[in-house]
Amino acid sequence: MAEPLIRMENIRKSYGRVQALEGVNFHVNESEIVGLLGDNGAGKSTLIKVLSGAVPLTSGDIFVRGRRVQFRTTSDAIAAGIETIYQDSALVTQLSIARNLFLGREPIKGPRFLNRMDQEEMNRVADALLKQVGISKNIPPTTPIGSLSGGERQAVAIARAMHFDSDLIILDEPTNNLGVAETQGVLSFVRNARDSGHSCIFIAHNIHHVFQVVDRIVVMRRGKVVADDIDPKTTSVAAVEAVITGMPELTGGAPVH
Amino acid sequence: MENRSLLQRLIAKPEFGPLVLLVVEVVVFWSINHDFLSPLNISNTLAFTVELGLIALAMTLLMTSGEFDLSVGSLFGFSPVLMWTLFNAGVMPLEAGFVTALVVAAIIGLVNGWFVTKLKIPSFLVTLGMLLVVRGTALFVTDGFPQRTWSAGGSWLAEILVGDFYVGPFRIYASLFWFIAAAIILGYVLTKSRTGNWIQAAGGNPGAARARGVAVDRVKIGLFMLSSVMAALAGIISSIRTSAANPNSGTGYELEVIAMVVIGGTALTGGRGTIIGTVIGILILRIMRNGIVLIGVPGLAYNIFIGAIILGMMALHSWLERRHQAGT
Repeated sequence: MAEPLIRMENIRKSYGRVQALEGVNFHVNESEIVGLLGDNGAGKSTLIKVLSGAVPLTSGDIFVRGRRVQFRTTSDAIAAGIETIYQDSALVTQLSIARNLFLGREPIKGPRFLNRMDQEEMNRVADALLKQVGISKNIPPTTPIGSLSGGERQAVAIARAMHFDSDLIILDEPTNNLGVAETQGVLSFVRNARDSGHSCIFIAHNIHHVFQVVDRIVVMRRGKVVADDIDPKTTSVAAVEAVITGMPELTGGAPVH
Repeated sequence: MENRSLLQRLIAKPEFGPLVLLVVEVVVFWSINHDFLSPLNISNTLAFTVELGLIALAMTLLMTSGEFDLSVGSLFGFSPVLMWTLFNAGVMPLEAGFVTALVVAAIIGLVNGWFVTKLKIPSFLVTLGMLLVVRGTALFVTDGFPQRTWSAGGSWLAEILVGDFYVGPFRIYASLFWFIAAAIILGYVLTKSRTGNWIQAAGGNPGAARARGVAVDRVKIGLFMLSSVMAALAGIISSIRTSAANPNSGTGYELEVIAMVVIGGTALTGGRGTIIGTVIGILILRIMRNGIVLIGVPGLAYNIFIGAIILGMMALHSWLERRHQAGT
């Protein structure tokens, strides 16, 4: 079997005496959307924070394409091709779509010492990206983020991750507080990202949203991975819910593990 | 159709409200007292306007990054005192004293920035403390007395900073060109350069900016240093022009400068700033001060008008903002 894009081995993370992760093994393959499920406190967020460089791990190893990496900051993770999209938090609402897309990596025009942003280039690329990610409305790239809807903001964040060749895009509750049409939009942005060769980790409370988009489901409970190869095409929602809660399921269905 | 959308876009700009106010102000003062637009009055008003204006320009960038600086007024008083004291005591020539005063100001800005970014103390408290330290130092060193200043004529430094000449009937000081140059450079930095994008991001959403690799702390520290140096430069220019170095001068300027910046349309909470707006804001407040005296309102009533303008402008900005948001 080919080396996965991301491999996390025996990850432990404790906050003082609280063990948030107790030896987690987790992997994401190339061009794969992994749904990460689990109840509150199962350790999903901690795992994601470790993978995105937001918190240091206590012990364990992370490999990107077989190469061992260490993340001290979120910038380290971004440099390694791992982009995390939190709802709202990743964009500057006062700045335009194009300025957000290129924040920190603005292209320069003219002599270096003038430090001049190439705004035409930024707008041109932003316009093309918005179309690529599948935003249906015609939104000019100079529009400030503040006047976009929640779903459109997700689209901008996903477009940014795609443009800067993030191999792995982590979406933390991307469909929270979104309407039905907006949710469908975000799910299709995620599919488009996968189809252009990016992998995703998709975290959502709404299990139905997860089922619609992911290739494989991983379930965590109490700091451990309890199932890591659930195929959403052959497994029922009820069966997965049973794995999440750890209770035997009431209504039959394919047994898992 | 095209024209209408152009007009609408103009109205939607944050600088539009202040610009209208400035025009109204000029028309009203001029219609009551025609001397208002006399060359003498314009020359007099401009001389001090650009000195405060230098501070306001730097403050615009700092406030866009989400911080502000209350210590600028005290630096305005302290820096010329330092320069003249070093010169009068024979420690160094005037030019070296000038450079020393600016370097000391930069260090004070560095300390402000360090407290705010590394110790995570709000800039209100840090720069309030610095205001007292700097003002206190100026008063202590001088025993509260103005410093001896020699009439600055003949020094090339004085000529460069505030040399004056006549253009027709207008008396122009060199400081006007420093102000214009600073406005152009800082306007360029804020709107066209990468640094400007980082400044706005640092004020709008520092967490997001950091996650994209923007050195938010370095940007803010740099702007605190810029703010202090500009305040020192303004104080020295003013001191040479008036041949006075009073340790108390500049008291209250910090609030007037912040008022100029917010009236121009820069957000007090950061993320959005406009140099053009600030230039308009500077003119609005200075012309108001000059104009109400010319039309016979007692100078002591000045603050009533300033306060009313601030309140009115904030109401207008908030109304425009809401209308703009609703429209999209």
